[in-house]
Amino acid sequence: MATILAIESSCDETSASICKDGKILSNIIATQAVHEKYGGVVPELASRAHQQNIIPVVVEAILAAKVSKKDIEAVAFTRGPGLLGSLLVGTSFAKGFALALNVPLIEINHMHAHILAHFIDDPKPAFPFLCLTVSGGHTQIILVKDYFDIEIVGETTDDAAGEAFDKTAKILGLPYPGGPLVDKQARLGNPHAFNFPEPQIPGLNFSFSGLKTSILYFVRDHKKLDPDFVQNNMTDICASVQYRIVTILLNKLKKAAKQYNISHVAIAGGVSANSGLRDLLTETAAKENWQIYIPAFEYCTDNAAMIAIAGYYKYIHGDFVGQDVSPLARMDF
Amino acid sequence: MNKLVSALTELPALARKLLLFAGEHRVLVFYGEMGTGKTTFIKALCKELGVAATVSSPTFSIVNEYEYPQGLVYHFDFYRLKDQSEAFDMGYEEYFYSGEYCFIEWPEKIPDLIPDQVVRVDLELAANNGRVITAKIQGRDINKDIVSNV
Repeated sequence: MATILAIESSCDETSASICKDGKILSNIIATQAVHEKYGGVVPELASRAHQQNIIPVVVEAILAAKVSKKDIEAVAFTRGPGLLGSLLVGTSFAKGFALALNVPLIEINHMHAHILAHFIDDPKPAFPFLCLTVSGGHTQIILVKDYFDIEIVGETTDDAAGEAFDKTAKILGLPYPGGPLVDKQARLGNPHAFNFPEPQIPGLNFSFSGLKTSILYFVRDHKKLDPDFVQNNMTDICASVQYRIVTILLNKLKKAAKQYNISHVAIAGGVSANSGLRDLLTETAAKENWQIYIPAFEYCTDNAAMIAIAGYYKYIHGDFVGQDVSPLARMDF
Repeated sequence: MNKLVSALTELPALARKLLLFAGEHRVLVFYGEMGTGKTTFIKALCKELGVAATVSSPTFSIVNEYEYPQGLVYHFDFYRLKDQSEAFDMGYEEYFYSGEYCFIEWPEKIPDLIPDQVVRVDLELAANNGRVITAKIQGRDINKDIVSNV
């Protein structure tokens, strides 16, 4: 019924995906392997990197899907939110490609796509469900009533959860971004060794900035008594910080589930790989009688497959945009 | 001269003073270690300007964009830049010379790209977990300080 090419370039990753009738045929993210094949390096950031990456990843996505350019019936792209320069590359490419093939264009909201990533593989969540999207840049609880009827019911008022992990790593002298390293250390430590305060934020919103500061004070004060405090207690500190970040997330999620009387709960975003979050989510689900949904990791971080699946549902609805579309750094649902 | 801040409730008044002090200057650079309250103070500045949206950390996104009644605010965080050239790649000039407010965290990551005339704000940890906030116009002969009372 529909073969869709999808482009994602909202932040660091350049990615392209081919989706046929709601099934993902390929999902290519600019990696060392792609660069080795086509030359060039892997830059960390920026639109120039996207410019270098976009054609190789699209070519690779088409080849890996074993389709031809002529089979493509629509082009979906991330319109926002994100870095304007980065978004421009993907948007311009998508517009040019769609114009050349004379096929419709579909604009996608990146954060919306993170939620619709749950519809790539089975089991797919039942409506209505709550989705906790946690990454280096975002922390949101979203009430999903239908594919396109969604509402942010809680979000961070300062740092994102992933940022809290990364900055904790930095305070502890681990490399930045060090979220996964904190997780690794935390698995070996006692989560109740140290007690970090849970911020009292009204409603379903989050705050991680105060936690960051309290970790900073904690480390500073203990170092005065023992200069090797961090090295000697690394696993326990990481476990205790991780426990606090994860309980902040889960406590708000529990509150949201009660408030909206919902038992289907999903997580998305790069932080959903965190073992502490997965463990506590599973434990909470058993107690609260939740049905939980965690997408495959490749669909949690930024990727074009989620743009493709979102594009598929928009294609079914005939929801297209014209060539006059431009990217948006800020984009509401 | 500088201002000792011992409670978050003092930030709105200080934000108002800083905006007055900055006058026509639209680029403000914020120096301070992690956890000294750069984002928190910028949130207060945005609120004073009348930004309605939630102002959150741009560490991951590098720049966040907000509307206020008279224009736009660009809130930067260059923390995760590995090289100044990455700021070139994101088109930093388009923002810095747009005439809109630019609040910049971790300007030390882009030492050669900071415009000639900026307002420099320094944040430091003080006793009892207070903060000392200092501001001056950088790039001129005169160094005006923002407040004199402690």
